[in-house]
Amino acid sequence: MSAAARIDDLSFAHPGAALPALERVSLSIPSGESVALLGPSGAGKTTLLALLDGRLQGWRGRVSVLGTAFYPDRAPPRPCRPDTGFVFQEFALVERSTVLRNVLNGRLGRMPPLRALSGQASAHDMTVVRAALADCGIADLAERRVDSLSGGQRQRVAIARCLAQEPRLILADEPVSNLDPARAGEILSLLTGAARMRGATALFSSHQPDLARRFAQRIIGMRNGRIVFDVPTSELDEDATADLYRDAGPMSGIGLRAVR
Amino acid sequence: MRLGGFAANAVIAGAILWSLVTTDVELSRLVSAGPRIADFLGRMFPPDPTVMREIVKGSAETLRIAILGSVGAVVLSVPLGILASETMVAPALFRPVRTLLAFVRAIPLILVAMLMVGAVGLGPLPGIIAIAFHATGMLAKFYAEAIDGVSRAPIAALESAGAGPLARLRHAIWPQMAPVVARDTIFRFELNLRESLILGIVGAGGIGFYIQTYVRSFQYDKAASVTIAVVVMVIAIEAVNVALRRRFA
Ligand SMILES: Nc1ncnc2c1ncn2[C@@H]1O[C@H](COP(=O)(O)OP(=O)(O)OP(=O)(O)O)[C@@H](O)[C@H]1O
Ligand SMILES: [Mg+2]
Repeated sequence: MSAAARIDDLSFAHPGAALPALERVSLSIPSGESVALLGPSGAGKTTLLALLDGRLQGWRGRVSVLGTAFYPDRAPPRPCRPDTGFVFQEFALVERSTVLRNVLNGRLGRMPPLRALSGQASAHDMTVVRAALADCGIADLAERRVDSLSGGQRQRVAIARCLAQEPRLILADEPVSNLDPARAGEILSLLTGAARMRGATALFSSHQPDLARRFAQRIIGMRNGRIVFDVPTSELDEDATADLYRDAGPMSGIGLRAVR
Repeated sequence: MRLGGFAANAVIAGAILWSLVTTDVELSRLVSAGPRIADFLGRMFPPDPTVMREIVKGSAETLRIAILGSVGAVVLSVPLGILASETMVAPALFRPVRTLLAFVRAIPLILVAMLMVGAVGLGPLPGIIAIAFHATGMLAKFYAEAIDGVSRAPIAALESAGAGPLARLRHAIWPQMAPVVARDTIFRFELNLRESLILGIVGAGGIGFYIQTYVRSFQYDKAASVTIAVVVMVIAIEAVNVALRRRFA
């Protein structure tokens, strides 16, 4: 049971889509590893991450996350869900609420139902939340409303909410896609560092191979819903990366050009 | 297209003709109406100021009916609004609830008030029940629309974090919909206040009772005073509402 996530021969098509978004995907991620997902737009990165978060149904194959087997016809049991944290690409924060409230929202799945409804945090909840805010460098923003924050600050709130969940598996969908290179490095180091400190597994998608190389121990390349390569970072080969993005459609060059 | 336009005009013309011909409209009556209206206005003038006490008493009761009726409507509309929203429940549930609300909206307030007077007797109680019932048809729909109008992403995020449906409603949906709910509730309260002014005419309490009493007993000068009071109240309600709306804009 040392795998944080295991996928076997998995295929999935979004409802109404002509082509499958994931085709015969197999992978296994050991606990504690930091893994990057690379691939051009439409490769299936978001789909794969959403699947591991238990948000997709109707797939074929076998999936288990943190020792719990998923079933294609139902969402995973709610008590399992806090164990997997997700950093959404568009942050998915409650704009009119404060930073503190948003980060506390990450605790809701860990609270007894009545307390979750009232939102009353226990002393332990507050300790975890304060630590998450401090780790993300936004302790001084706690009382600010999210709609008054910059993009980079929101990104940190989104990560803090995920950390407040005390997840054992952290999934992050392009967590640095709209940040400048210095900020991007900072955020990824924050994310992977926080995961390492907490003994959590991290899987993040990115369009930036150099960042993936710096912050992941292992890199998975995807294209057209398939895994093209899956290697330790030290063995990543430049040509394979370049191939991943070659002629992948009209938008394919955008992510890479930003890097090279 | 042109045929459709012609057909529409023919239908409208037909409807007007049918109404004119089949309704007992004796235009001759209009001729004798002039002096009668003058006489009527003459008897209304000057308004009798001695009914001030009745006006204050009636207005206070109208206000209480509107407040309690609105509270009742909010209490009913919260659960019904949730049950009528596609964000919170399955189509098998929100569709019939929406149909029910449409029925409730379709029943005129005055009809509900008359039925309630028959059921619970004269006084403010039937008025309060009628307002609560009638306003729920609209308010629950507004609440459902407010729920469905919020951004979905934070709801999905809280679900992913393991929050249950009510916790999602409280912490992801409510903060987004709160200003809309406040605006809609105030708007509905204004309507409730306006509509409860006339409830007394069917015996359901409030200031309308005095209008009915004075007209029936031919005390037009007193009826005039009450009518003026009602007009002033409507204008005041509107002014307050305009000010409030500015705050929520
Ligand atoms: N809700 C949906 N309905 C139908 N098709 C979808 C849906 N979401 C994604 N797809 C399709 O599934 C495929 C994979 O999409 P996915 O979002 O997983 O790609 P991605 O690798 O995350 O791309 P990007 O880098 O642009 O975020 C694409 O062809 C996309 O058009
Ligand atoms: Mg994506």
